[in-house]
Amino acid sequence: MFSKILIANRGEIALRILRACRTLGVGAVVAYSEADRDSLAAQLADEAICIGPADARRSYLSAPALISAAVVTGCDAIHPGYGFLSEDAGFADVVRAHGLTFIGPSAEVLERFASKEGTRRLLEAHGLRTIPGSGMLRDEAQALEEAERIGYPVIIKPSAGGGGKGMRLIKTPHELESTLKVSRSEAKAGFGDDSLYLEKYLDDNRHVEIQVAVDQFGHAIHMGDRDCSVQRRHQKIIEETPSPALTDAARQDLCARAVRAALESGYENLGTLEFLIDASGDAYFIEINCRIQVEHPITEMCTGIDMVALQIKIAAGEPLGMTQADVVSTGHAIEFRILAEDPGNDFRPQSGQVLGYLAPGGPGVRMDTHIYPGYEVPSYYDSLLGKLSVWAPDRAGAIARGDAALRELLVDGLTTNIDLHRAILANEVFIDGKVTTNLLDRVGSAPFVAAGNR
Amino acid sequence: MPQDRNAVAAAPGRAAAGATGLDPRIERDHAAISNLADDLLPALIAKLATSGLGEIEVREGAWKARLRRPAGADDRKGSGRGSVGGHSGQGHATGRGPAATAGRTAAEDRERLAREEDGALETANLPIVAISPAVGVFQPRKDLVTGMRVRAGDRLGTVDVLGVREDVVAPVDGMIGSSLAEAGEAVEYGQELIRIELPENARSLEVNGADREAAAVLGEA
Repeated sequence: MFSKILIANRGEIALRILRACRTLGVGAVVAYSEADRDSLAAQLADEAICIGPADARRSYLSAPALISAAVVTGCDAIHPGYGFLSEDAGFADVVRAHGLTFIGPSAEVLERFASKEGTRRLLEAHGLRTIPGSGMLRDEAQALEEAERIGYPVIIKPSAGGGGKGMRLIKTPHELESTLKVSRSEAKAGFGDDSLYLEKYLDDNRHVEIQVAVDQFGHAIHMGDRDCSVQRRHQKIIEETPSPALTDAARQDLCARAVRAALESGYENLGTLEFLIDASGDAYFIEINCRIQVEHPITEMCTGIDMVALQIKIAAGEPLGMTQADVVSTGHAIEFRILAEDPGNDFRPQSGQVLGYLAPGGPGVRMDTHIYPGYEVPSYYDSLLGKLSVWAPDRAGAIARGDAALRELLVDGLTTNIDLHRAILANEVFIDGKVTTNLLDRVGSAPFVAAGNR
Repeated sequence: MPQDRNAVAAAPGRAAAGATGLDPRIERDHAAISNLADDLLPALIAKLATSGLGEIEVREGAWKARLRRPAGADDRKGSGRGSVGGHSGQGHATGRGPAATAGRTAAEDRERLAREEDGALETANLPIVAISPAVGVFQPRKDLVTGMRVRAGDRLGTVDVLGVREDVVAPVDGMIGSSLAEAGEAVEYGQELIRIELPENARSLEVNGADREAAAVLGEA
């Protein structure tokens, strides 16, 4: 086991890692930027070190600053948390070059899974279904043939494009015929390359992910799934486990296939395989997250596993110490991301002082946060104030506990999305477990905001 | 695809959105920066260039900016050049970009000014210190002795960051005072390293305006 770990992150996850270190009896140094001098993690830590100015590029994203901080404080490992440098193969490599351990997958593993396209091909070869697509389109006849094989609706995508540019939704063969030529010239003009391909369009999809852990000895377990379909502009807002989108049989099957694919493709340490589930219940692999996830607490609540401690143990070269049979997931858990955002004002991020803060309590209630009364929320970083997670024996119980806890939670001085969470919990689509990833963006948040103000 | 939020916030664009908002506090900040950038700084740069001062600090509301003469600039009088203390300040003095750019530089300024606040020259009586530019191992310059005269920008030592040396510089003209860190000591970013004492003839400069206050200071050429 390590003797001392540098915590190279901020906010609630820095505190979460500090807690894991203390539980394991490992020393910890909190690395903080000047804007985070008053953060709870920096205050609670036995040792904390300022690594740079507020600008993340010169602090939390600066490999030299972080590694230098680890070296001068006598750390032998660095925990990157999530975001920032947590999935950066180059960083993991430099950390190792300085005789330190990167807590996460090795640089080689991060490199292997760095490209989304490469990862999809790799995991497809290990038995995971990916979103059906065509090869490069040669001519109209072949395009029609491919679209027929994939099944309408399809999306035309420029091979050289990215970020949704130049994509078109096609619902019929006739539309395909009339669009192909235009798309080609647009792609040529936009990207200097007129190569196009088709991909199946998943309309009302659900986002479901499988949590896996693989140690350095080839042992692997999964810790069930999480449903992250409640999203706004691709940002998760509420997560729950188990997913109401899967039957128990489908869940078992998907978990088993995910953990096998991760193991066989050479993955290592904690990882999350993300899938889109279409209306018929078919799961398509989209990407793997090579880090601890924001939403890990709900998995911890159902399995009882300290995932951050497990992540540290795996990086230290210890075996998992458990088999799949030891992983028992019980009950239902929901996480609410408490954000300093104003839902009534286009979700504008808020910064400023937390005048009052009261955490909810009671059975099955967990609050992960770095805020406290008097804490000044800096404007330089994200708007995550904390995560409220609740557990109950069943989903209805978890929803009830969630609502009670949200009513109790007080964050004074900043506008937050607490009322929006309550409105979503009270929404029939959510209660029925039928939220799709496009719901909030399609109907807009206004009805929820209005309901939240009742 | 969904991402963890820190990853998103790490992108510069996100920070810009936050700083260009309608939040009255931020708006006030923008107004203060605009005032500093558009009105005060150009006038002060001219003043600095034609005066014998080494450094000027100006305040607008809660904001401060400090102008520092480039180290080793011999053609002081009438040169018309004055260095703005910090890379982003230059942008303000020469013109304003689109809102998003202004927001980002505002944030940078805020950070920079916050950092300098401790050593700010509000009055000549406050202690002034050279601070660490990075986290690493401190080595003072070999020939450094108490009472030695130094100019703003002079290198007083280095902080070794994984083999790369970053300079510790004198923030103002003055004399070397007491040492606050040992040679070979591990230091953090912003840590106070060497006290600088002001020469006796330090003086202040008044700038007009009710809540505008410029104190400044420092040695003659």
